Amino acid sequence: MERILQLFANGVMAGAVLALPAIGFTTIFAVLRFANFAVAGHMAVGAFAGYVVNSWLGLPAWAAVLAAFVFAASIGVATDHVALRPLRGYRALTVAIASIALNLMVENALRFGFGNAPRNFAIPLMRDLSFGPIHIDPQQIENTIIAVVAMIILFLFLSLTTTGKAMRAVADNPALADSKGIDPDRMARIAVAIGMGLGGIGGMLIGLDASIDPLIGFRSILSVFAAAVVGGLGSVPGAVLGGLVIGLAEELSLLALPSTYKAAVGFLVILITLTLRPRGLLGPRAA
Amino acid sequence: MINYLISMATFGAIYAMLALSLNVMWGMAGMANLGVVGFYAVGAYISAILTTRLGAPVALGLVAAIIGTAVVSALTTLGLARLRDDYLAIVTLGFAEVVRIVAENEAWLTRGTDGISGIPQPLKSTLGPDFNLAYLIFCLAVLAATVFVLERVRRSPFGRVLRAIREDAQIAAFSGKDVLVFKVKAFAIGGAIAGLAGALYGHYSSYIVPELYVPLLTIYIFLALSAGGLGNNWGAVIGAFVVVFFLESTRFFVEIIPWLSAERLAAVREFTVGLCLLLILIYRPRGLLPEPLPRLAGR
Amino acid sequence: MTKRPSLVITRRQAIAGASALAALPLVLPSVGFAQASEPIRLAGLVSLTGGGSPFGPSDRMAHQAVIDEVNAAGGILGRKIEYFAEDDETNPEAGVRAARKLIDVNKVSAIMSVFASAVATAVLPLCWENKVMMLAIAAADSIAMLPHQGYFVRTQPHTELQGREFANFAIKRGAKHFFVMMPQTPFTDSVMKGIKDLCGPKGIKVSTLVYDAKKTSLRSEVEEMMRATPDLLMIGGYQPDDIVLAKDVYRADYKGTSIGFAYGLTPQFIDGAGKEAAEGIYSIEPVPAAGSAAYARLKTMLKRDQLDTYVCQAYDHVNLAILSMAKAGQASGTAIRDTIRKITDDSGVKVDNAPDGVKAIADGKEINYQGASGPCRFDEHGNIIEVEFRLNQIRDGKIVVVKS
Repeated sequence: MERILQLFANGVMAGAVLALPAIGFTTIFAVLRFANFAVAGHMAVGAFAGYVVNSWLGLPAWAAVLAAFVFAASIGVATDHVALRPLRGYRALTVAIASIALNLMVENALRFGFGNAPRNFAIPLMRDLSFGPIHIDPQQIENTIIAVVAMIILFLFLSLTTTGKAMRAVADNPALADSKGIDPDRMARIAVAIGMGLGGIGGMLIGLDASIDPLIGFRSILSVFAAAVVGGLGSVPGAVLGGLVIGLAEELSLLALPSTYKAAVGFLVILITLTLRPRGLLGPRAA
Repeated sequence: MINYLISMATFGAIYAMLALSLNVMWGMAGMANLGVVGFYAVGAYISAILTTRLGAPVALGLVAAIIGTAVVSALTTLGLARLRDDYLAIVTLGFAEVVRIVAENEAWLTRGTDGISGIPQPLKSTLGPDFNLAYLIFCLAVLAATVFVLERVRRSPFGRVLRAIREDAQIAAFSGKDVLVFKVKAFAIGGAIAGLAGALYGHYSSYIVPELYVPLLTIYIFLALSAGGLGNNWGAVIGAFVVVFFLESTRFFVEIIPWLSAERLAAVREFTVGLCLLLILIYRPRGLLPEPLPRLAGR
Repeated sequence: MTKRPSLVITRRQAIAGASALAALPLVLPSVGFAQASEPIRLAGLVSLTGGGSPFGPSDRMAHQAVIDEVNAAGGILGRKIEYFAEDDETNPEAGVRAARKLIDVNKVSAIMSVFASAVATAVLPLCWENKVMMLAIAAADSIAMLPHQGYFVRTQPHTELQGREFANFAIKRGAKHFFVMMPQTPFTDSVMKGIKDLCGPKGIKVSTLVYDAKKTSLRSEVEEMMRATPDLLMIGGYQPDDIVLAKDVYRADYKGTSIGFAYGLTPQFIDGAGKEAAEGIYSIEPVPAAGSAAYARLKTMLKRDQLDTYVCQAYDHVNLAILSMAKAGQASGTAIRDTIRKITDDSGVKVDNAPDGVKAIADGKEINYQGASGPCRFDEHGNIIEVEFRLNQIRDGKIVVVKS
């Protein structure tokens, strides 16, 4: 029983962090209608940006998180403009494959610059805090708080600002939005910026807990997809819910499977969801 | 040096088989299998385990790899066949990762991350140093046979139905064809070819390890097929050889450019692969060799 | 609609292009072109990246330093020695590809200083089939049992011996529950079994857990370990995963004793895990022959005041290869295989470096090579015969030798 509580706690916190790149992925899907694998590489970009700001420039963690978002977002817009924009309007599969190619390029650019060896942030190593039978690493708490704050800011942006509402309009009904004069190019850029930026924060948070290397996003990509798919591709609240579901599923799976099989959980969830309820938990009716 | 070129050509032939496998599944039947490396692994392990653990002859290992992988592919299609094509891509990627994870963990069966070494190389003792050349010729023969069979399939009624399904599955279903059965068959054929390629690799290098079966390999095959021409069997073969020669020749650049470490060189190599794939998708999506269109006039 | 560039390539052009690309490596200046007197070729297959990377670069330096010295003295058998180094990335697949290049293209007679057991296991069949000698560090027992026909020796005590040392530590410290955590390697099973066999009869409970070395967080594994409440923990991985494990063990507030392999618990480990996480961890390693002349000479050559056993072994590998070839009068892998046990003769002149040994051989004398890592005598499987271990502990960010 204690073990289940511990796994539950781990799962909720891991799920909060996972939700960020999942939201990013689903936002790009909502506006541009394709599965963008390059989110993985930009998670690593954000992680390294944060690392440079924190370990090389000596700035505190919050500055690093900001740097992660800004760098991942800007590089994301730049790479999208050069690599994927020429393919707008093509089949979703073609653009998805192009995003895989782009991802390979981004990850290897990082590898060229930084090498494959894992790097650690310059933060003190802290012992777990105990809440009764549950142990929680203070870093996990900090990560969860950062993730939640980021999500709140995003929700406020989408519901209160004109741009945010315009983006939701494009996601709901692109033809109607276009006829209302909303610039699809601009919306695309903003969606990519948000998507990659959130991915960048997600990559950095994972790295704060463990270590970073160019493949940090690639290792989580299957879980990120799973979270977005379970929640319903295109739905931001869905991605949050999906993040929690996958985070919990992966942790609770330890009750039955050895920990080395965690990554397989994401795959199973994707398969089950796409077969039985392709629109996910909160996705729109038309698949 | 000759031995090295023979070795490169052998890898080229094996990658060509993988490209052909993807061509059946994607080029002919419209299902982009991002997990083709998973079938490659399944075939390799089936043959390796049978020949090292159970002492089976190599020929039996190859046959078992073909049949076993065909069965696994057919079963996986049942779960995947109705998916939209980009969803299918995501799921198959996951499938390949699961295959690799199982191979890494079930060490009682696969020897885990240490890999299976000592896989028998057929006729190695009788041939001695001629083994490498003989094996290359064998692989090329298998490759030629595969291309021959696939060309027949492509021109056959079965192939035409697959093309129709690729273009528009709903219309094909309308005309009374059971789309699912066709997709399963196409995946089974494609999977069998990938499994055979895996077994051929194992019996050549005498060593397989889960590390080999990574998504990067799938990307190489996608590049080979996209460059060669989706739907074109000869394009698949040529694309594969070009990709292998490119990958191996970059190894020598380390000696010419001393300030470039091996790790950086690997990064440059993979970056270039991604770049080439991207450029082909943007500028030459039908590949460098166009798909041979069926003749419309009567036979 | 933008106009796409038309680029029709016929099949003939495609094949021509592919052939041109294939010919590229032949056109590039390749090593080993025919000279008046063919050089002798030796290779180092070292870990410049990955888990073995703490040691690869210095192993390569040791090889290069000795070869430079020998060449300056005129080489051996009237020929110069050419040296090639490749990175095995501490990964068997990369190691095999690198070995193929060294064997097929560079045509080396010996491959030296492979560190990881998984790499050695994968590469050794290539060596014995091509009659290339492997002088290795890799320690898994299973490697020596492969049918290598003598093309294998190693200067590192095999893991059964190492496992025994861990068991002895547990027994001496009066541990009640020994929890062994290791990544999967060719020697994981034999080490775990060895510890169980020795500790069990003494009433020590032994639990084992094999983890995935590629994970960046081992939190769940550590939780499992904490639930078992052991008083002795083995942090039994290579450097990168030891860092991850030690940090998560620290976070979990483990209060018992920890011990591991010294090749993982290096100064860079202390940097990566941090002083607090590394404090107090014990490590075991084979003792290099720190009092020997070879050791002193190597210190001077590399300008270091402390040497780990691995760079000493690398030094010994290159000396053994060169002296074997000099004694055999031939520079092939087979010659090394046949002569490597004939250069440590008790009645011979004691030598600790290649130039002196080569000169003695030229004068018709028997030699007794005394290595920097130890006496360098091998049994018929290639295992080292005599070995000593030492116990270290990390104290205040430094590795300190513990006097038993």
